[in-house]
Amino acid sequence: MAFIINRRTTLAALTASALAFSAGLSYAQDVLKIGALGPLTGAGAAWGLGIDGGVKIAAAEVNARGGLKVGDTTYTLEVVSYDDQYKAAEAVTAINRLMGPDDVRFVFGPIGSASLLAIKPLTEREGVLLFTGAWAADVLKDSGYIFRVGPTTQEFAPSTVAWLKETKPELKRVATIAANDETGWNSQKIQVAAYTAGGFEVVSTEFFERSQNDFRAMLTKILAQNPDTIELDTVPPRTAGLMIRQARELGYQGAFTKFGGYDVEEIVKAAGAEYAEGVVGTTMAAPATETWNRLGEEFGKLHKAEMNDYVVMYYDAANLLFSSIEKAGMLDSDAVVAALEANAPFDGSVGTLTWGGGEAYGVDHQIYRSVVMVEIQGGKGVVIGEAKLN
Amino acid sequence: MFQQFLVVAGLSSATYMLTALGFTLIFGIMRVVNFAHGEFLLIGAYTVFVAQHVLGLDYMIALPLAALVAGGFGILAERLLFRRFTGDEIGGMIVALALAITIKGAVTVIWGVDSQPIDRPFSGSFEIAGVFIPRDQLFAAVVALVMVVVTWWLLNHTRLGLAMRAVAQSPEVARLQGIAPWKTYPVAFAIGCALAGLAGALAAPIYGAEPNMGDAALMKAFIVVVLGGLGSIPGALIAAVLLASIEAGISILFNATIAALVSFLAVIVVLLVKPAGIMGRS
Repeated sequence: MAFIINRRTTLAALTASALAFSAGLSYAQDVLKIGALGPLTGAGAAWGLGIDGGVKIAAAEVNARGGLKVGDTTYTLEVVSYDDQYKAAEAVTAINRLMGPDDVRFVFGPIGSASLLAIKPLTEREGVLLFTGAWAADVLKDSGYIFRVGPTTQEFAPSTVAWLKETKPELKRVATIAANDETGWNSQKIQVAAYTAGGFEVVSTEFFERSQNDFRAMLTKILAQNPDTIELDTVPPRTAGLMIRQARELGYQGAFTKFGGYDVEEIVKAAGAEYAEGVVGTTMAAPATETWNRLGEEFGKLHKAEMNDYVVMYYDAANLLFSSIEKAGMLDSDAVVAALEANAPFDGSVGTLTWGGGEAYGVDHQIYRSVVMVEIQGGKGVVIGEAKLN
Repeated sequence: MFQQFLVVAGLSSATYMLTALGFTLIFGIMRVVNFAHGEFLLIGAYTVFVAQHVLGLDYMIALPLAALVAGGFGILAERLLFRRFTGDEIGGMIVALALAITIKGAVTVIWGVDSQPIDRPFSGSFEIAGVFIPRDQLFAAVVALVMVVVTWWLLNHTRLGLAMRAVAQSPEVARLQGIAPWKTYPVAFAIGCALAGLAGALAAPIYGAEPNMGDAALMKAFIVVVLGGLGSIPGALIAAVLLASIEAGISILFNATIAALVSFLAVIVVLLVKPAGIMGRS
């Protein structure tokens, strides 16, 4: 059947196009997609879901007050999340999707240093901003668009070691445990250096595979060196809990410290309250405060995971970004970077955020925020002090 | 340290035996490589969680219940999925993988990614001459060994076991003898899955219940069964002890990464020298 062009069909076609056009125009607001990338499943999922939750809560608050005002345009924020399972290969796939089809310029995450270092060349080349929790030293070096949302071993290790030396002078022999990947190699190196400089004798340094849940052989080896204290460093909280329990069942009666990523509930669940008694760790937000409870309630609506300090850290980082974008008045990466750098001190939800790290990393893109020391007493976390940052 | 090594290796080998037993049983009788074996372990572990926290049952009741539930799911899986793949090893593997992903996804959707709290019936350890034997691991090892013996007795001293062994040797000849393979398969599958569920229920109080716990178990079961010979039960038992000893020994001397390397190297060596496994029939 030949297509007939006459007045009727032309009129119909024009009407249809006009309707389609106006339908597009009548859509209220532009959408700005924000990326979230981290381990949403597996070990470390508590932290990954913390990123997702913290960013989503902050974005929802912005949307509730009308959207993000960037110059003359107001944007509705939409968070797009991907699971990297703490693996570099998955992170690369995810970032390619975020930068490509999803057209995202601002990404929160990843947590794994292996993931970060894998995607860094891609995001730096494209000028995509990353707000990472990854702890390796090379994360910030030679970068322009990467920001770290919370202090790492590099920033607080000397202070935590000094605190241990002062409060528990009877502890002299320390063993360190870390995961056998980029994160673990990096944090353990810094811990060993800090403990040695602090006057401790490092009697054992061990690595484990992230897929493990039985550490009795490793612990047998460690305990043969008679440590007074075991540093659990950046071991994921659930795994740390298992290590604590298995060590105690092998007869270990010494101390445990976890100066590197804490989650009291997870540790107590895995170790049992009795074995977890006295474990001291560092966290980026004190539990059971008003802010913690409020964010915890919102987080509970989004995920079936325990509330943890990553929610608070990423809530603050997201608010810092959104505020900086509004101050910059545009979405251009370099303008936003400049606005971020100028946006300090910034009022975070539990304290002030400032920039630091220039001396160690060559660029001041490390967020400095208070690091709280929490001891497990009777199965609950009790704040016992604060660590000073380098 | 050597005595502690013996304890660590010994207790681990018992659980490896139990996990591998169900896996090799299913392959031996149905020639299905059950890649969802780890997920039946998962079902067992989560049954304990639900039994304790929703039904308020004691662990000692939850334990056999977990085996029954996993076995029940096994019968369902056999009837609905695996029946049409007996003899088709590739097809069976693929559908098993799909089942594994589905079960793990369902567990994650229902209960989330966090590890679930399991009430522990045992805590602490026995200390004998400076060697520590954790009570919970000892209990798990004892139950595992008992089940291994029960399964051996079932296979070698009952008519059902005789039927299963006949079908394993040759389904066609078994039919000629009046044994219906389609009645034997669900039972074999159920027993294999029940053993996996029991292994999961035993592991739950020791390591917690979380959606990924089946992965490592499947990997261990696979290594043990390949080393010992697919379908050979004595082979699986010997290989379980071998694997546990290698892992514990190398982990204590060096670290877990090298231990994993050595155990996989052992698999390669055994397969090169004796492709059917230590006691497998080709």
